[in-house]
Amino acid sequence: MLDRLTPSGVAVPAFLITWSLVVILPLLVIVLFSFLQVKSYRVVYVPTLGTWESVIDSGRWIVAVRTLRIAITMTLIELLLAFPFALWLAKGCKSKPAKAIIITLLTIPFFLDTSSRIIVWRSILGTNGIVNTVLTSMGIVDEPISWLLYSEFAVHFGMLGSYFPTMVFPIFMIMSLIDDDYIQASSDLGASPGQTLLYVILPMSLPGVVAGVVFTLVPLMAAFVEPQMLGGGFVNLLGNSVNSALQELKYPTAAALSTIVVALLGVCLAALILITRKRFDMSTMFQAIRR
Amino acid sequence: MIGTSDLPTLALIDERQLADSSRFWRRVSRWKGWPTTAKWLGFFAIAMIYVPLVWLAVMSISQSPLSGIPYPLTTANYAALAADSRWIPPLQVSLVMSTLVAIVCMVIATMVGRSITRMRRPGGVLLLTLLPLFVPGLTMGAALFIFLRTMLGLKMGYWSIFLAQLVWALPFALLLVLVIASRFDLRLLEAAEDLGATPWRRFWDIEMPILRPGVFGAGVFGFLLSFNELLRSLFLRGVETTMPIYNWAMAASQQSQVPIIFSLATIILVVTLPVMGVFFWFLFVKLDRS
Repeated sequence: MLDRLTPSGVAVPAFLITWSLVVILPLLVIVLFSFLQVKSYRVVYVPTLGTWESVIDSGRWIVAVRTLRIAITMTLIELLLAFPFALWLAKGCKSKPAKAIIITLLTIPFFLDTSSRIIVWRSILGTNGIVNTVLTSMGIVDEPISWLLYSEFAVHFGMLGSYFPTMVFPIFMIMSLIDDDYIQASSDLGASPGQTLLYVILPMSLPGVVAGVVFTLVPLMAAFVEPQMLGGGFVNLLGNSVNSALQELKYPTAAALSTIVVALLGVCLAALILITRKRFDMSTMFQAIRR
Repeated sequence: MIGTSDLPTLALIDERQLADSSRFWRRVSRWKGWPTTAKWLGFFAIAMIYVPLVWLAVMSISQSPLSGIPYPLTTANYAALAADSRWIPPLQVSLVMSTLVAIVCMVIATMVGRSITRMRRPGGVLLLTLLPLFVPGLTMGAALFIFLRTMLGLKMGYWSIFLAQLVWALPFALLLVLVIASRFDLRLLEAAEDLGATPWRRFWDIEMPILRPGVFGAGVFGFLLSFNELLRSLFLRGVETTMPIYNWAMAASQQSQVPIIFSLATIILVVTLPVMGVFFWFLFVKLDRS
């Protein structure tokens, strides 16, 4: 019966084959490519470890460590900001229009041009920027604070708004699914709000937290515009290294660096799954939510 | 008797421990200010998104946008923008490209989305389709570039930008169609078939009206995501330029060009923000009702 209802049985296989060709194959190719060489614009199909040796020798591993550090720090900051806010939005905010406005405000940033949003921080944080102008004119500081712009602080600060919605949305959605009765039951049984949070809300919202962390960490691992425009050359991340390697036509290096990005992400995600699996049983949680 | 005496003792210890060690934490967790704190933390993060946008608009009418003081006010930046015509071709390219991506997204998402709901084990197909969401944009762009340009030796151009943007926008479009399609009752089609409707009429008259919000959403998301895509198109552009690439190049290179993108970005924001606001408002109000 179902077969007759699907008139286009060719559509899905055809799509899947094309999709694998443009998505999966390139990702496999870059791993392979990092072991090859390019000589006079031609790919030499002889395996070599030269690219990896030069990547390690040239100290790019420091860039990888820095990228990982900034990405994890930012993910944690966003989680600390987003988890309480998502809880408030899902359970505390009683006004429906307010909720709709906040959700709309959180959706719009996905569709805004990154460069023009980030470049404007220069005129806020720069030595002649509004913050420093106000601080010096009020006499709080004697001379402009120079570390506000072109520093790791500026990069973190610029990322704060950009990666907030991706963290809030999954957590908010899963928290809206938690039945208010569970929370009520928990407090009826004598749990303090803190205990309810720790033993009822947190375990039930964990899938959303994991999704939020994934969707925030993934773009952060290859952040490019923020470090370029607010780091002022002091905060070189893997994304910038990939870009400069491609511009210098060092394709195997770019491939190796991209492989590092994917590998680091894989390790982070595997660690995330291991940690959460140890603490809470994922499957029972899903069942609890379905009920 | 021994068995029953265990439990009360345990409870007693538990209670005593609670009283001793966690009185502080009890007080912390009963603090009335937590919801307000949570609320303002979130509002702070939202402000971090919108303060730059407001400041962008303010600085676009200021004489030196990269300094901190908006005064003296001037419309010179807008005049410079009107005199400069280099931003028009990228805008046109972006508009055409995004429309194409949106249309292709709608078609593929509808075809694949409605077939996935009829599958017995959709997990694998779904995971494969959503894979680009788990790959950073820059990595995907670099991978596609190395694959297409260096391995296959193809010439980059509009088609490769289109491909990169499609890879990014399609997973979202598919998700939107799936949300609606998974609620679709297949018995409606059986009923239509029993009543003698042809396959095309069954699709167009029965299925499509129900899927329409998802398909429409897929188109809008496809358009918007493609219109602002930078990281992937940056590597796959060849010599072509889209609006986000133009903005990026202007912002990254010479400072003298910055005033123009301030006013350009402001104009685009003034046009798109109300449209998006109204669209998402209706989307969420509608989703809330259903």
